[in-house]
Amino acid sequence: MDIFSDLMMGLSLAITPINLLYLLAGAMLGMIVGVIPGFGPSAGLAILLPVTFGMDPVGAIMMLAAIYYGAMYGGTITSILLNTPGESATVASTFDGFPLAKNGRAGPALVMQAVASFVGGTAGVIMITLMAPMFAQVSRSFGPPEYFLLAVMGMLTLIVMIGQQWKLGIISAMIGFALGTVGVDLETGQGRYTFGSAELIGGIYFIPIAIGLFGLGELFYAFHQGTHKTGTGGIVEYDKEERFWPTKHDFMSTRMTMARNSVLGFIVGVIPGAGATIASLMAYSTERSLSKHPERFGKGEMAGLVAPETANNAASSGAMIPLLTLGIPGSASTAVLLAAFLMWGLRPGPLFMEQNPELAWGLIASMYLGNMVLLIISIFAIPLFVQMIKVPYRILGPCVIVICTLGTFSVHASFIETYLMFAAGIVGFFMRLYGFSPAALVLALVLGPLAEEALRQTLTISRGSFSIFIERQASLWIIGVTLLLVVGLPLLNRFGKSAGDAENVGS
Amino acid sequence: MTHTTKTQISWLKVGAMAALLAAPLAVATPAVAQQYPSADETLDWTIAFGPGGGNDIMARTIIEILTKYDMYPGDISPENRAGGSGAVGWGYLFAQSGDSYGISTTSGSFVTTPLQADTPWQPEDFTPVALLATDDLVLVVNGSSEIQDIEEFIAAAQASPMNIGGTGTVNVDFIVPTLFAQKAGFEFDYVSFNSMADQTTALLSDALDAMVGNPGEILGLIESGELRPLVFSGQNTPAALEGVPTMGDIGFDIGVSMPRGLILAPDAPAEAQDWWIETMKKVVETPEWAEYIATNTLTPTVIYGEDFRTFLGNTKNGFEVVLREVGAID
Repeated sequence: MDIFSDLMMGLSLAITPINLLYLLAGAMLGMIVGVIPGFGPSAGLAILLPVTFGMDPVGAIMMLAAIYYGAMYGGTITSILLNTPGESATVASTFDGFPLAKNGRAGPALVMQAVASFVGGTAGVIMITLMAPMFAQVSRSFGPPEYFLLAVMGMLTLIVMIGQQWKLGIISAMIGFALGTVGVDLETGQGRYTFGSAELIGGIYFIPIAIGLFGLGELFYAFHQGTHKTGTGGIVEYDKEERFWPTKHDFMSTRMTMARNSVLGFIVGVIPGAGATIASLMAYSTERSLSKHPERFGKGEMAGLVAPETANNAASSGAMIPLLTLGIPGSASTAVLLAAFLMWGLRPGPLFMEQNPELAWGLIASMYLGNMVLLIISIFAIPLFVQMIKVPYRILGPCVIVICTLGTFSVHASFIETYLMFAAGIVGFFMRLYGFSPAALVLALVLGPLAEEALRQTLTISRGSFSIFIERQASLWIIGVTLLLVVGLPLLNRFGKSAGDAENVGS
Repeated sequence: MTHTTKTQISWLKVGAMAALLAAPLAVATPAVAQQYPSADETLDWTIAFGPGGGNDIMARTIIEILTKYDMYPGDISPENRAGGSGAVGWGYLFAQSGDSYGISTTSGSFVTTPLQADTPWQPEDFTPVALLATDDLVLVVNGSSEIQDIEEFIAAAQASPMNIGGTGTVNVDFIVPTLFAQKAGFEFDYVSFNSMADQTTALLSDALDAMVGNPGEILGLIESGELRPLVFSGQNTPAALEGVPTMGDIGFDIGVSMPRGLILAPDAPAEAQDWWIETMKKVVETPEWAEYIATNTLTPTVIYGEDFRTFLGNTKNGFEVVLREVGAID
């Protein structure tokens, strides 16, 4: 198979005026949808899927891919400006993104996240083009034991996040784990804390909780602090002319971060079901361990924003591998794409790329173009978005509450989720006030059920024996990498530092 | 989907007024049958799941056929009312009790959601139009497995219990292998997954011994030899699975499957029910419908009207018995 002639064929299909128009429309729609809290790529794709009914499949798939990427780019904007992650993959982007905006660096932060997304996304597509069959082997070697180990690996990043206030952090995580037990128990089929409600069968979805804890909590806290009465009433004093572009230092200090996390994000993305969330968390904690200034993380360190952003976009490219090579959707977003394939009467599976070269390579080509288009759109749109934080808080606040409510309600048309969001907002305010960790709560809510299910599946399969974790090759690999990240890197870091730096860390 | 323009509406209104004025003059009884469906009522089509799912694809296929062959005179407005595993959408239809312009398609959750949650409705409450097809399952092993056919599988499972993966517990994925194992006389451990994607990966990674799934979603993997199909739970093997025996063929018929059908709001007028039964008889004859059945590897099983209500009741009771036995529901 000649990769380059295939890619050229894909590009020639993609570069027709009508298809480029679909691509552009999809990218813009995706970005707009992604900006609304609650609408991540999967919800955005599902809602916009009917738009493509009746379109020619190549045009439709280009538009859908563009929506997917657009939502990934757009989702971070509210994380940075309003501390409100639109989806789980951008929770990690709030850790340093929002502090950056508060320090008056919203413009550079947004530009750098667009650049990081572009690098991660493009590196991901290059890896798909060159090594799809090789990575297909990776995505087929993951079963429940490996998922459990991955979830544990994700939980270790909780420790990094909890930091100094470890007692409060543990309590926060425990609340998250407790909320994660709600819903039908996968193994026995019995409802746990559902109180007979059909809306709780599927468990507590983390989106309303994240929007409430981060977005509304932050908002209430700002009102409590009287931000709306001081100065211009905006979040920060912001001067567009001087501070829009990132400095040379921003680019230079994060170039290795982008390179590392493109690869890391892609590999995690290839694993079906692990996806962008775990990738962005791992990227954040790895970057913090590797950094010469770990103490700056969480206070507005550019690398702390670039790492998760590169990783989650590389992961969303990686998620295409199981879809294209096995017909298995690796994430909620690719599940919608799979549904679209089925609707066109296609048969996704290992023979898909051979049987439908136009569609597969058209999709890949559109991913190259999509990332370029989105980088350009972002650069033009960022000055507009940045205006948002200039709006006085007394006006911005109520608008954010309305948009959050609308976003949360529209995803599943659920009143319970809307109430949960408001409840989480109040809890989030008090957590903020007393120094608890909303991030730990949300991550425990995401990872807890994943770990529980995978562990119970594993033990059913192994009939209760834990040795299954060391009998499988893929499991051993994950254990090895985890040890390296948790024990190896910090040690390496400590020895690599000069004495002066080490004292700095200690203080 | 809304084609009605302003001028059309005003013309329709004039028409309706004329009809109303003329009604007392005409003989009353045959006029009632003529009135359903009225061209100026919009059909409120509830899809209880999000776009792109099995239920959505089926609803939109039927709507496309109705539109293409001009079978429905008025406008059709399809709405995705997802939430609570179908409870939201079918709850919306349930609230339209007595109305003749509320309609919805059913799927597996139509039977299982009321078993899991306190829904105000039961599947038998709605006005049944037709069962159109059933979703059946195929039992597969990894393509590299030593087990070549179902006889070898049963023999191996009797020798030492195997594990079989499926999606969810209060679900046909659990009930089909449970009943099959009872009949064939072997034991197994059921491993429940959240999605077809998770369980397929688990099987490909050799963590699972076997799994059940909808053939439509794994046909690509079966075709390429990554997965080996052993037995099919439906009455007839679909063309894409040629050569695979059904459970009935090897003498262990279990008679359980997931209903894909069409329902109206509870207590809908009889003429609406009759009209839809007659219309669906035409729909299932179209080439578009045949193509839908083939691409989604469904088993065409057509039952109309009250027989469909009986079928729903039986399916629900069958599920309840098995699930109560294993303690999944109280």
